[in-house]
Amino acid sequence: MRNKSLIVLLVLTMVFGLTALGQATTAKDTLVMANYRDLRDLNPHLYGGEIFGQNLLFEGLVFLDQTGNPTPWLAESWKVSPDGKLYTFKLRDDVSFTDGTKFNAKTAKQNFDTLLENGTRHGWLESIRLMLAVQNKGKEAVRTTGEYTLEIEFAEPYYPFIVELGVTRPFRMISPKCFKGKTSKNGVNCLHGTGSYILKDNTVDEYSEFVANENYWGKKPAIKKIIAKVIPDNQARLIALESGDIDLVYGLNLISPKAYKRFENKKGFGTVMSDPMSTRMMILNTTRPELSDARVRRALQYLTNRQIISDKIMLGMETPAYTLFSKNIPCANIDLEPYKYDPKKAAVLLDEAGWKMDGSIRKKDGKELKITLTYDSDKVLERTIAQYLQSMWGKSGVKMKIVGEEEQAHRDRLKGGDFDISFNISWGTPYDPQSFIGAMRKPVYGDYAAQQGLKEKAQIDQAILDALKSVDIKKRQEHYTYILKTLHEEAVYLPLTYERNRAIFSDKVKDVGFNPSQFEIPLQRMKLQ
Amino acid sequence: MHVYIIRRTLIALATLLAVSFLSFSLVNLTPANPAEVALRVNDVIPTPEAIQEMKIELGMDKPFLVRYAIWLERCAHLDFGTSFTNTNRTVAGELARSFPYTLKLTSVALVLLILISLPVGVASAVWKDSLFDKGVRFIIFAGTSVPNYWLAFLLIWLFSLTWKILPSSGTSSLAHYILPALSLNTLYIATYVRLIRNSMLENMKENYTLYARARGISEKKIIWLHVLKNSLQSSITALGIGIVRILSGTVVIENIFAIPGIGRLCVASIFNRDYPTLQAYIFIMGVFFVLTNFSIDILHCMVDPRLKTRAQHA
Repeated sequence: MRNKSLIVLLVLTMVFGLTALGQATTAKDTLVMANYRDLRDLNPHLYGGEIFGQNLLFEGLVFLDQTGNPTPWLAESWKVSPDGKLYTFKLRDDVSFTDGTKFNAKTAKQNFDTLLENGTRHGWLESIRLMLAVQNKGKEAVRTTGEYTLEIEFAEPYYPFIVELGVTRPFRMISPKCFKGKTSKNGVNCLHGTGSYILKDNTVDEYSEFVANENYWGKKPAIKKIIAKVIPDNQARLIALESGDIDLVYGLNLISPKAYKRFENKKGFGTVMSDPMSTRMMILNTTRPELSDARVRRALQYLTNRQIISDKIMLGMETPAYTLFSKNIPCANIDLEPYKYDPKKAAVLLDEAGWKMDGSIRKKDGKELKITLTYDSDKVLERTIAQYLQSMWGKSGVKMKIVGEEEQAHRDRLKGGDFDISFNISWGTPYDPQSFIGAMRKPVYGDYAAQQGLKEKAQIDQAILDALKSVDIKKRQEHYTYILKTLHEEAVYLPLTYERNRAIFSDKVKDVGFNPSQFEIPLQRMKLQ
Repeated sequence: MHVYIIRRTLIALATLLAVSFLSFSLVNLTPANPAEVALRVNDVIPTPEAIQEMKIELGMDKPFLVRYAIWLERCAHLDFGTSFTNTNRTVAGELARSFPYTLKLTSVALVLLILISLPVGVASAVWKDSLFDKGVRFIIFAGTSVPNYWLAFLLIWLFSLTWKILPSSGTSSLAHYILPALSLNTLYIATYVRLIRNSMLENMKENYTLYARARGISEKKIIWLHVLKNSLQSSITALGIGIVRILSGTVVIENIFAIPGIGRLCVASIFNRDYPTLQAYIFIMGVFFVLTNFSIDILHCMVDPRLKTRAQHA
């Protein structure tokens, strides 16, 4: 009898003990968010850390506001020389790093110098390349001209520099005392920035804790403590949100359209979606015999029903795209005639190009109109779109073969130009249009290979260079208009949808919004109820 | 006996060498260029100059066999290189950091395995063909067929979302390990219950059980002291291999329950194409399997006189 009572007591204790553990909800002054991986290395001058973490600790000279406009941050103001080659920054005089080191022109220069020292790693940035070109002439590209005045010189004018300064990496400032040796190239010993938060704790692969910086020079953030829990599994993250273990799941890659829909009308939760940020598209290789005729490429545009892709595959999470960039992207507000879904127009174009219907397939000189679409097999959505297009195009006599392959193999294929059609995504704001367009000149991406069949390729490349150098806004727009119009008329790109960033959160969190870059999380603007 | 041990040791060493070669070459066989991967996992645009620089940094400019020899020599000193995803961390350090979590999870899974399968197996043998036994047999059937990731979500849904009595993710208390351990060991619980039940039933038909009854020993004592003791031998052997299987089975479960153990390290390495970590994981798991098999063989030889004789002949 006594034994039985003991067992009952033990079971009750366990149940109530565990109940208390299971019903954990997050503390009132703390925002608990989920990320799919650890913070890793937050060195702001390298690329191996979580951007949201770097964004909390480190600040740059320029801040990109919600619309992507550059506004003063650690630099109070700046001016550009008439020839567009010299930038002069007036820095704030009231800022210190969290280790007490004063932020001034000297420390800012040390940050730029260490980036130039690791120039190969940052070779993708035109601005670094142009600063190095100055250095190679034996002149310093970054100079201090006063305690709070910094000068940066380029070999050639380069207008997107101010925007590049605004993105999280690699131009954010860290206390030079954190450098390993005299450079950040080989890593950093500490993470002292000027940001509104401090990293208090990071238990690798479990969670990291950020607390508000009490000595912050600017407006102090409303949330005192942020905990980022590492939950790698998609479903597990949503369950944690549902059970109250976390308050926020943020980002395109962390929230599938289905998951967003699930929480859209759920009591106790909120959802929010950004403006279009990047373009999901297909690249058509103009060097392939079947696709070398612009009429065929245009016909494929008319055969693509973007509305169905948006509604049925993306569940309304992405809007139909008819141009390479959405109109809210800088310099992309151009009137271009959209290729709206119209199979009849497509049939006329294909007939004109000599591809006549023969049974269920189109043929020209006895050769069938067969196209191969390649994609990265990890991307399930792309496979679904491919299967839909295969069936739709097939009805109009265009036979499509779908090949899914491992990521690296797919990238190599793109780089080598060994494809008919492939999926692609633009770099997104604030890199669009300048960085995405700029990369078309380099044989690193599929764009370069796909455009080789265009008669105007040389002019397009020249226009890209001219646009990036252009100091005059009107002339710059003219170059962009030429590039975007030519690519649109030549139908090299088949835009499908515009991607939009998204977030799901508990009712506790207020003012969840978006920064221009989809990789940043504007935690500084959020509030807790 | 000594000859047998020496022979088994040599075989084990040869297997280990093969495992090391396989784990090194498998990863090198993937279509990706590790130098390019090392850049891309850190979101660096792989320009030709950057790739060349990284190639030299990783020693990829050397021939395959030379790289293998260097890698093997370093492995012997427990130096598995540096992680691609975070060049500040060594692979050995990453393994050492994550292993305790997996060890804790595996231990909880093992304790639960023994606590559940032993009494249930015995009871189901004692009450053979009763309603309880039929129920257990049905659960065994279900338990061996359910994939563990699906079971994990089912358990989370039931215990974390509906009843709110156990946490769904994390590692801050022992309670956090209960659901992952159950998801991990259900298959093995089902196997061991069946093993114990069948073995008990066989032993209960043996003559020594009859003699014990004739000697007037109580049924309780016969079951727990005599029959069970003799029935456990086969289960213990199975448990040896089971431990390593549970250890390697953590790959999926640790991801679902956000436990930063070596299983998750492995999955993260696959997704990030962190080849040095992946190579080390495959190698270490291989070593565990080889060592467990080796120890069990030796144990068998020591316990079972028939094997000892066979070994002597050999």
